[in-house]
Amino acid sequence: MKRVFLFAICVFGLGILFNGCGSQPGASSASQGVRKIVVWHWMTDRDEAFQELAKKYEEKTGVRVIFELYAPSDAYSQKVRAAAQAKALPDIFGLLGEKRDFAAFIKAGHITNLIQEMTADNSAWKNSLFEKALAVNEFSDGNEYGVSAGIYGVPIDVMNIQMLYNKGLFIKAGLNPDSPPATWEEFVAACQKLGAAGIQGLVSGWGEVWMIDCLASNLAFNIMGPEKVFATLRGEVPYSDPDWIKVFALFKEMADKKMLASGIVTMVNKNAEQAFANERAAFAFNGSWCVNVYHGMNPSLDYGVLLMPRVNLSRPMYIWGGAGSSFLVNDRSLVKKEVVDLLKWLTARDQQAYLAQKTRNLPSNKSSLEKIPELLAAFSKGMENVTHPNVWPVNELPRVIERFDKGIQSIIIGEKTPEQLGAELAKLKAEEMAKKK
Amino acid sequence: MSINKYTVTNSAVNALVHVFLIIVAATCIFPLLWMFGSSLKTQSTVFSDMSLVPKAMHWENFYLAWTKGGFGVYFLNSLFYTVFVVFGIVIVSSWAAYAFSRMNFPGKNLFFFMFLGAMMIPLPGSFVPLYVLVNNVRNILLNSLNGATPFFLKIFPDQFVYGMVSFIENQFYPRAAYVLCMINVGLSFSIFMLKTFFDKMPKELEDAARIDGCTRLGIWRHVALPLAKPAIAVIIIYNSLSVWNEYILANLILSSKDLMPLQRGLMVFQGEHITQYPLLMAGMTITVLPILVIYFAMQKFIIKGITAGAVVG
Repeated sequence: MKRVFLFAICVFGLGILFNGCGSQPGASSASQGVRKIVVWHWMTDRDEAFQELAKKYEEKTGVRVIFELYAPSDAYSQKVRAAAQAKALPDIFGLLGEKRDFAAFIKAGHITNLIQEMTADNSAWKNSLFEKALAVNEFSDGNEYGVSAGIYGVPIDVMNIQMLYNKGLFIKAGLNPDSPPATWEEFVAACQKLGAAGIQGLVSGWGEVWMIDCLASNLAFNIMGPEKVFATLRGEVPYSDPDWIKVFALFKEMADKKMLASGIVTMVNKNAEQAFANERAAFAFNGSWCVNVYHGMNPSLDYGVLLMPRVNLSRPMYIWGGAGSSFLVNDRSLVKKEVVDLLKWLTARDQQAYLAQKTRNLPSNKSSLEKIPELLAAFSKGMENVTHPNVWPVNELPRVIERFDKGIQSIIIGEKTPEQLGAELAKLKAEEMAKKK
Repeated sequence: MSINKYTVTNSAVNALVHVFLIIVAATCIFPLLWMFGSSLKTQSTVFSDMSLVPKAMHWENFYLAWTKGGFGVYFLNSLFYTVFVVFGIVIVSSWAAYAFSRMNFPGKNLFFFMFLGAMMIPLPGSFVPLYVLVNNVRNILLNSLNGATPFFLKIFPDQFVYGMVSFIENQFYPRAAYVLCMINVGLSFSIFMLKTFFDKMPKELEDAARIDGCTRLGIWRHVALPLAKPAIAVIIIYNSLSVWNEYILANLILSSKDLMPLQRGLMVFQGEHITQYPLLMAGMTITVLPILVIYFAMQKFIIKGITAGAVVG
């Protein structure tokens, strides 16, 4: 017996020597015919719904889907990056970061191009999803990152940033909650009426400067149109242009007419959300994730969604938005076909409606709107007007963005005039462009 | 009793020192009280009721946190990791520290400074190499098991062999890898602390033990280790705390949620945009309790550990 045991140890050792290095863990399971798909994600609030969907999918197809949650998002990102280095990414994963990180992963061969699957059957899959949500995962010909053109991710939900108003406070101030302001003048008048009733107007997390950037860019798109905004970003139109001064002047008007909640310039979004949920302000400028947040903070809050009131009535109001979260397919996955089938199923109408109802996120499938709650549907309608810096042909330089956002904060607190900011930005932009050359 | 200038000054200084210490103590204890108070509120009242003692106490939050966060399994996992990691650190660091302190071998100082250097590297800096190492060893192990399985099937029943392979792959290896990584993380500080302690230990004690027939290992076991009790107590407390609260490395190395430590349970309550504060605070209160027990149980050793070396031998 002792000899047999020694022999077994030797065989085991030889196994280590001859089979030691090489293949990935997934390879063995695939070769044994195990139908299993592993998904890594960071979305704590969606995990329960994902587990339910995984069960349904296994019952339907016999394919076992394992959703593995790694949170918070920082820890998740570290795991994904480490796994990428070890070439041990799962079949499906999400990537948190900027577009250049996305491009780096594609170039390293970690992400599959899904263009063929998306465009098969007269682009049935592609057409079922919000176009603007796909744009975030899309790389066009000749893109600045040098990535082959294609679609590299599947949006599982979408988001956008809009205005919200408290219906109860509207009634208290003698305003009609069924007819929220559609123009800038109406918005100013509503805020003044609210102010007269002792109710604060607009609250938003403008301590996080990107939210100021977002509103200013919405207003700029509406006042001067996308082409002129892009021309400014390319350095062809200065920030001292009258249209830009008009954009900055709107912030001055809001401050002068006391339309803003107190402390808005230094307020983080979490506090702004609390203020709106606790009915301390009548308007909020916030992302669609707020439906979930407000429900948690004050389930009885009665509010509506509206597009930012237009300044220029001859142009639409653009809003920031796009894919909320996307799933990517590991190019080294041994079960790629099954993975694509799963993603098609996950983004189909019924599953998207289920996810929206369960998690209060906006569905990425256009046809799910009729099956989701009214508030989410109202947010989803804004997807037609969505834009995002990630899909713009040109982006602003970091130093200019910083001065732009801080400059608007200075206008709100009365330290600068719109004209001063315009001149300052025009000068800085010229300097930065010269450096770039 | 006469009141002179000295007594007045002394009393005033004492009063000031006490007021300062009370303020410091209050700032330390306030977060704990706030955590406990918030654990008894609802998701709505946590944003509106700012009092430490809520009007309506929701004790069910503790039950909900325990069940919803799946704390049962995580609690056992954390206990397992803490016991094995701390035990491993105490054994390995005391051997290493004793060797660095008492033995002469080539490159002794270089190795010791390398250990000290490792203290300066923050944990996130070693994430990628650790992950790659753990993953490669796992691949080697799995391929070896696959290679050896046909042979074992000839000797043992199928169910036993497949059960063992699955156990090694899904339970033994991930846990062992995490424990070894955590031992590695805690070694530098512990070796440094124990070496300082052993350096000050009188050589005469060792000579006496050697005359009595003790080997090197015997001296370590019967002389060095008992004398180092205060330092070891500090090492136990310090490492227990760091293993109990560790999550990032666990998140990196472990994949199945059944293997995750207690901190994973807390993540369930932190959504991408919304946090369930009452349940999170209830979960944190549960998490803090065992470590408080360890701290109170070993409190008397802390002062001794801090003054370690002064009374060695």
